[in-house]
Amino acid sequence: MGYQKPIPLKTQDNRPYWDGADRHELILQKCNSCHQYSHPPGPSCAKCGSSELSWESQGSDINGKVYSYIVSYRPFLPGFQDDLPLVIAIVELEMLPQVKLIGNILQCSPEDIEVGMPVKMVWMEIADERSLPQWIQL
Amino acid sequence: MESIKNRYAIVGVGESERSKNSGTTPLHLALDAARAALNDAGLQAKEIDGFMSYSENDSCTSHQLATYLGVRPKYVKDILGGGSSTEMLIADAVGLIESGQLNTVLIYRSMNGRSGVRMGGGGWDVNMLQTAIEGGSFIIPYGAGSPAQWFGLFATRHMHETGLTEEHLGHVCLAFYEHAQRNPKAYFYGKPLTMEEYLKTPYLSYPFKKHDFCLESDEANAIIVTSAERAEGCKSRPVYIMGLSARQCVSHAHYWNDLTEVAADYVAPEVYKMAGVKPEDIDVASIYDCYSWVVLRQLEAYGFAPRGEVGNFVAEGNLRIGGKLPSNTAGGMLSEGYTHGMNNVLEIVRQVRHEYKGTVRQVENCEIGICTGWAGPDMAGAMILRN
Ligand SMILES: [Zn+2]
Repeated sequence: MGYQKPIPLKTQDNRPYWDGADRHELILQKCNSCHQYSHPPGPSCAKCGSSELSWESQGSDINGKVYSYIVSYRPFLPGFQDDLPLVIAIVELEMLPQVKLIGNILQCSPEDIEVGMPVKMVWMEIADERSLPQWIQL
Repeated sequence: MESIKNRYAIVGVGESERSKNSGTTPLHLALDAARAALNDAGLQAKEIDGFMSYSENDSCTSHQLATYLGVRPKYVKDILGGGSSTEMLIADAVGLIESGQLNTVLIYRSMNGRSGVRMGGGGWDVNMLQTAIEGGSFIIPYGAGSPAQWFGLFATRHMHETGLTEEHLGHVCLAFYEHAQRNPKAYFYGKPLTMEEYLKTPYLSYPFKKHDFCLESDEANAIIVTSAERAEGCKSRPVYIMGLSARQCVSHAHYWNDLTEVAADYVAPEVYKMAGVKPEDIDVASIYDCYSWVVLRQLEAYGFAPRGEVGNFVAEGNLRIGGKLPSNTAGGMLSEGYTHGMNNVLEIVRQVRHEYKGTVRQVENCEIGICTGWAGPDMAGAMILRN
């Protein structure tokens, strides 16, 4: 059986992010007008409305810390039934604390997870030429 | 909006039967609720010239409802929406009446929320969710497909920052379950909850256990709004709208950047200003309760307890009948029924009317009530009502 969980859909607005993830690189959208990062990326800046946007690579070595989290004991979506309990976290990037990404903390038991926990981004191969950014405890 | 203070009233409220499996359509349920509200107000269906509803594509249309009440209305409106939509449609109704376009508006929410489309999920197409939800491809691949999980992310952070505990979440549940034990029509009537049981119940999605979730039910609710002048001719005791703030948005919830900011923080000062009252003037409340935690965050937003002290406020029993702020006195969405907030509106109207006078359900001397709506951290609405 292949990967049963949802694979990120690439759209007009998010393609550079997911293309970057496939290359194991974090690409963030940035507004040229207000200079803030836009995540999730969109058709224009959600902070000021400007459509002058660019994409900026943060490289492959990404650290962060847990800003918040939940632990799912039920698979609220199909494909996650074998991953319970599933830790879903918001991770604040070390280099850019204003940017927060949602992901799973892999191989993390509910007893270990806590706000502030340092984590490191890893890229999980999920399909041919597709990768999903994930996190492991540092 | 300040000029409309006390010039509009809710004159009728009604509901259908509540069940896990209605065996009928949302249209039938809506007709039952509408007829009950008309009967409550002492109005004929043809006296209603505007019909409005909200849904998540799980209801009948206002046009259908009007049709089968035998009415050819001037105006129908159906919006997509969940929590806080009642307040929004009441504001729309007030605006339309104020501008002379309508006289009397019936607003309803009808859903087979348990036997039909369940908000709690299940059966959703994951690729549809990725596109339907703003930023969906950044949450769905991680298994975050339920409001329980999204609100949980806000709750965990809020608990971390303010020292709120799971026991504090439990106190919200305990108060509302206790109220449900006084309401024979509540879903969890006959199912009291103790702190011991609450604490030993396993998590569904940490920090939430099953008691922290609103229930899912099949039911319809309806309310009728008209001007204060027309309200005088109604059979019921009118409940006047002192303050109303329809809906406020902050940055979309799925941008997740600032979990300390919620829309209710913006609604609160507006609604108090318009009503000309302060939190301490409020005698009874219906606080939107899709999850126990959202009650705690709103108590902060609406000034009932300062940030960091909300936990003590609920632990002291203040949400209970007899406490400082009796809230969700029919059991709320956690334990009475769930119509995306409208059942909480019905209850606040009945309390402020003193409809339960002489029974254990009546909050003593309650003249002013607040009803809050919450669609998420990004959308909220509220109204302040008086006898
Ligand atoms: Zn900008």
